[in-house]
Amino acid sequence: METTLLSLLHGFSVALAPSNIWYAFLGCLVGTLVGVLPGIGPLSGISILLPVTFGLNATQAVIMLAGIYYGSQYGGSTTSILMRIPGEASSVMTCIDGNAMAKKGRAGAALCIAAVGSWLAGTFGVIVLTIVAPPLATIALKFGPPEYTALLVVGLIFLAYMSSTSLVRTLLMASLGLMFGMIGIDNMTGHFRYSFDLAELGDGVGIVPVAVGLFGLGEILSTPSQKVVGEVIAPKLRELLPSRQEWKESVMPIGRGSLLGFIIGIIPGSAHIISSFLSYALERRLSAHPEQFGKGAVAGVAGPESANNAASTGAFVPMLALGIPTGPVPAVLMGALMVHGVSPGPQLVTEHRDVFWGFVASMYVGNLMLLALNLPLVSLFVSVLRIPYSYLYPLIIMFCIVGVYEVNHSIVDVWIMMIMGLLGYALRKFNFDPAPLVLGLVIAPILEQSLRQSLIMSNGNYMIFFNRPIALSLLLVSAGLLALSAYAFVRNQADWRTRLAEAEAGEAE
Amino acid sequence: MTLRADHVAGAAFVVFGAAIIAASGDLPFGQLSMPGSGFLPKIVASLMIVFGLALVARARESQAYADVSWSDGKHAAMVTAITAAAIALYTVLGFLITMVLMIVALLVAIERRRLLYAVAYALLVAVTTYAAFEYLLKTPMPESPFSY
Repeated sequence: METTLLSLLHGFSVALAPSNIWYAFLGCLVGTLVGVLPGIGPLSGISILLPVTFGLNATQAVIMLAGIYYGSQYGGSTTSILMRIPGEASSVMTCIDGNAMAKKGRAGAALCIAAVGSWLAGTFGVIVLTIVAPPLATIALKFGPPEYTALLVVGLIFLAYMSSTSLVRTLLMASLGLMFGMIGIDNMTGHFRYSFDLAELGDGVGIVPVAVGLFGLGEILSTPSQKVVGEVIAPKLRELLPSRQEWKESVMPIGRGSLLGFIIGIIPGSAHIISSFLSYALERRLSAHPEQFGKGAVAGVAGPESANNAASTGAFVPMLALGIPTGPVPAVLMGALMVHGVSPGPQLVTEHRDVFWGFVASMYVGNLMLLALNLPLVSLFVSVLRIPYSYLYPLIIMFCIVGVYEVNHSIVDVWIMMIMGLLGYALRKFNFDPAPLVLGLVIAPILEQSLRQSLIMSNGNYMIFFNRPIALSLLLVSAGLLALSAYAFVRNQADWRTRLAEAEAGEAE
Repeated sequence: MTLRADHVAGAAFVVFGAAIIAASGDLPFGQLSMPGSGFLPKIVASLMIVFGLALVARARESQAYADVSWSDGKHAAMVTAITAAAIALYTVLGFLITMVLMIVALLVAIERRRLLYAVAYALLVAVTTYAAFEYLLKTPMPESPFSY
């Protein structure tokens, strides 16, 4: 514990360096804008701005990109409350009661509760991350290739199980991602795979063109500008403080949302989205006045907003401690670290102390910055919403092209982005969630290498995965989850995931 | 029988999986003790076929293919065509000219905005972005034949 505190102090000395504070601020500001603007999610925001970090060192880059991630969770609540348009998916639940509060003249109070709840949950998440990640990394150092293979398999199965679309759809997307991840030179044999004589494909398909195409361009293609309209309710600064009763009603939902969100954040899947849905359902079930939900219940804002922020922080635990992304955003952040020559994983804590602890400490600073940014500047962010979408999306396309090109100065990458944009458009038409595809793309090389190393170690004996206790336990968890899903599939039962998908679809409309 | 959205989607994945296996012909599968470069791709492609067939088998739960809305198709096609043209010209005409042309085309051809406003907006954002990347971030952008 003492070592952790000393390391955290070292992290603060890194995070509080003026240049790092500046990049944390920039990330939080851009993240808030990304969250506020409908049509740009945190994933496309981070992917598009990744090349901007090339001139920075790894610590500055990850501080800025993470700021965009958790900043977008804060910003997403603004459009949800004031316009009933979720700035990003995890804010869908905030739309219901947040906008109902706004219509009753309590827009300022709803925004304040959302911001304070997000801050408390974010800070709670960082404290637990500080405590949990280093010992987890120490345990992970004992992992060999069989354990990593089993861990990646369980991660994929968890992702499929937690997905709000069907298991088959998620596994299809993950398989497609794994296929894309295997394009290029095979590291172990030197064979070119599916590169079609294009030298640029020898290094494989990058995460940036795929993520920007699927989530940036794909979103634009399926969003005609006349669809993005809405009335903005602009609160005055003096109306921002909630009443004593509203504070009282929000305390417990913030606490429960923080805990629930963090736990779900660690589990693979679209954690921040699921956590807000589950928190909303939990608050409604526990409430003495469930009939108020949908009509401006304070708990309906405080719970989901806290949960999605805590989940964003929780998602960093497996990324930092194990080097395994639990969702597409941590996957892109991992890609960003690798671009800067830093491999996320158990060695990160020991070999790149500045990056790890500087990043952790910057999250304490960043959460405080976001609270300061989101409340007084809310009217400024609201004015951004008045920029017509028809002027905004050409700008986003420009950044997509520039962002992807600047990573490798490769026009082939930009064409890949274009193809992925069309794929993303088609996938949306057929109700596929493209997020598992990005995750599959990132873990494909790690999975392939660890699987092949395991088989070489055991001379082709697959029992290696069953003779080692950690690998066996992880595979048993996978089997259990698959059995649960298969049971629901065969019995044609509507389980909690189906109900979640229905609620999500209903609110998105 | 009504053609469902998942019939089409599932069939597309089956065809894609089969195409991957066909394209993997020259990749060695290897042995269990020393898996070759075609080992995992063939397994994943086979899984894709299985999942695609499962989707087709459960297709009755999805909406009818005829009900899939393509009302945004014209917008998507026009944005795609203009963006594709911009990508093709990007390294030929450079950042500034290409981006100004692309933004003007998107605003005038798709959004029906006035040409003058569109040009002014395109120049403002393209020049600002160019300056930010070139001078602030020290990241070189593709140049035009006129060296800017």
